[in-house]
Amino acid sequence: MTRTSILKHVFAVALACAAATGAMAQEKVTLVVSNSQWLDALRGEGLWNAVKAYEKTAPNIELKALGIPSKDYGDRLMTEFGAGAGPDVAIIQEGVFYALADAGLLVDVGAAAEGVALNTTKDNGIVDGVTLGVPWQRAAYALIYNSKLTEAAGAKVPTTVEELIASARAVQEKTPGSIGFTARHQISDFSGFYMDFQSWAYGYGVNWVDGNGKLTIDTPEAVAAVTAFKALYDAKVIPVGDDFPTQRTRFKEGQVGYSIDNSGGTLNIASGGTTKGSDIHAAAMPFAHPGAHQQIYVVVNANSKHQKEATAFLKWLMSPEGQAGLRKASGPDMLATDVPLDPAFVAANPWATTFAEVATKSHSVLIPGHEVETTQIMRPVMEAVEEVLITGTDPAAALAKAQKRVDGMF
Amino acid sequence: MSNQALLERPAAVPAPTSRKGRGPQGIARLMPYAFVVLPAAYLLVFMFYPLGRQVYLSLTRTRLANPNRSEFIGFGNYERLFGNPEFYSVLRITLTYSIMAVVLGVAVGMIAALALNRPFRGRTLVRGVLLFGWAVPNVAAALVWLWIFNERSGILNTVVTGLGLERISWLTSTDMALPSILLVTVWQVAPFVMLVMLAALQSVPEEVKEAAVIDGADKLSVFRAVTLPHILPTLQLVSLLVMVWSIRRFDIIYLLTGGGPVGSTSTLIVKLRQVAFENHDLGMSSAYGVVGLMLALTVAAIHALFNIRRQRSSSR
Repeated sequence: MTRTSILKHVFAVALACAAATGAMAQEKVTLVVSNSQWLDALRGEGLWNAVKAYEKTAPNIELKALGIPSKDYGDRLMTEFGAGAGPDVAIIQEGVFYALADAGLLVDVGAAAEGVALNTTKDNGIVDGVTLGVPWQRAAYALIYNSKLTEAAGAKVPTTVEELIASARAVQEKTPGSIGFTARHQISDFSGFYMDFQSWAYGYGVNWVDGNGKLTIDTPEAVAAVTAFKALYDAKVIPVGDDFPTQRTRFKEGQVGYSIDNSGGTLNIASGGTTKGSDIHAAAMPFAHPGAHQQIYVVVNANSKHQKEATAFLKWLMSPEGQAGLRKASGPDMLATDVPLDPAFVAANPWATTFAEVATKSHSVLIPGHEVETTQIMRPVMEAVEEVLITGTDPAAALAKAQKRVDGMF
Repeated sequence: MSNQALLERPAAVPAPTSRKGRGPQGIARLMPYAFVVLPAAYLLVFMFYPLGRQVYLSLTRTRLANPNRSEFIGFGNYERLFGNPEFYSVLRITLTYSIMAVVLGVAVGMIAALALNRPFRGRTLVRGVLLFGWAVPNVAAALVWLWIFNERSGILNTVVTGLGLERISWLTSTDMALPSILLVTVWQVAPFVMLVMLAALQSVPEEVKEAAVIDGADKLSVFRAVTLPHILPTLQLVSLLVMVWSIRRFDIIYLLTGGGPVGSTSTLIVKLRQVAFENHDLGMSSAYGVVGLMLALTVAAIHALFNIRRQRSSSR
């Protein structure tokens, strides 16, 4: 072998090695996945680990977490998506989902759901026949109570608002310093306030839109819902002025008898405080009709350079393996497929099963046909509710004013 | 001699040659422009371009999630804005809040400055303590005040109920929400006013005050005839600053009440945020922003007019 041919071979091998290294480096794709829940002190780490398990199935993928505080999450994502940037994959509330879908900033991820038996949580992720999001979690609302306080007061599980007021009063009378009921009641927490109030509205049979698509705000059902909420507010069983994190903390510390909260909020209450998960119980809300839920979807950003890889990741999330991991980390929330709750979790948290039941009948907090404009429509409605609570305005008059404002919007 | 005259080239310096602009002299002539270029570029990119963009957006129908796909609609947003009775309520609240913040903030700050202008033991310590409100970040201050105002367990209501009175809904009643926010604003603004006015008070010549006292003037007359004219330009400037800051103040109001209850603390900036991020309507929110800008410019113009009038009267 001549010196020239040896050099040729060495050169060829070096070239091949360099090409292989280059190819390997190119194949490694980083997907940025955003979620406000990554910052959740209770579930954040567990949820991220459940998602991160995908890297074992797809070694060419690296997942990078983007955690944004929930208060700014929707605003920031919409601004970033609108500016042609943003994470590859986003885990978003239904309201943000519809706004991004309306702007054409989401990718068709129907391939991720192919061959998977998704439950009803998938429905709102399909817009005009195209799957733009797959379900992440559904947090339904239910009535929760601290059995230590309610049993001490001899208070029964209420099935009507009148009974709820009586039971909440009984708790306050029996245990001095305790709080009968907690609820959002201030416009300063508008998003939470309107989403929570939807349970009252739906519970009284409200449909914010009629068969012709006309927005119906001042219906007798809505007046009844506001009147009932006002009766509870006036019963002096709510800690007026407390923001909701403070109210949840009070529940956590064993100071609250009853509350209407979603499954995520209840998990927060049941963890890390003096009230054990086993002392918390849940029941259907004291209304004639099912209440509301908050639905979260996983979407792929149309600005992403790795849409194919991101969709493949979503497909894995919907698979039995992905859902099993997510189930462990999600606590009581309903998932995309009917994976049963973890028995150990249910044993420690008897309230969880009620949420699983109510989540199958609950309604989205968004107004059908007006999903993008729901927050805009609910602003005057909630201002009317607040006016009734604070100034004692007649609910029918306040809602009639809100109806006028809504009529002038579009 | 004016500053301009001082800067002019002395007569002894030889006249520039035909190779004007070259060599060290040319560089020296360009130096002032070089110093101006960077700040000018900064202002252009970070101030005038966004402002221009905001004015343009206010003439368009633009969705938050689609800022690059806007539709030009002329004055359509302004027509909707001025035809909406809610806008006038927002404007009235903004003006009430801003004017009261100036009146109360400047009054409290001025009184504190006058008190601290006299020598007494521990003056430096008192000055430091009084500056606390100004030094605390707004978000931290808002959170602390949320607890202070808490209806059930806040310190204010503990005092109120201790006096045998009914609990007050500081942030949850339409009558009390704006005054409560004003209280926090004054707590934040007054230390700044105090600091600036204290500096102005200390620059008033003692001999003039002494001469007035020798002429038989009492304390009030000395203040009116000597001190006030000296500190008036500073007072006007500080009032302008507090007014403009109040027009654009967001964090304290948003964190304490979010514009509620029943819109009683909804100022232009709080409304702007609501329209942009709840209604996703960037065009209309920009129109609110332009109205706020016009309001601030009007205040600045009034201040400039006062300045011109004062300069004219002092040059006579």
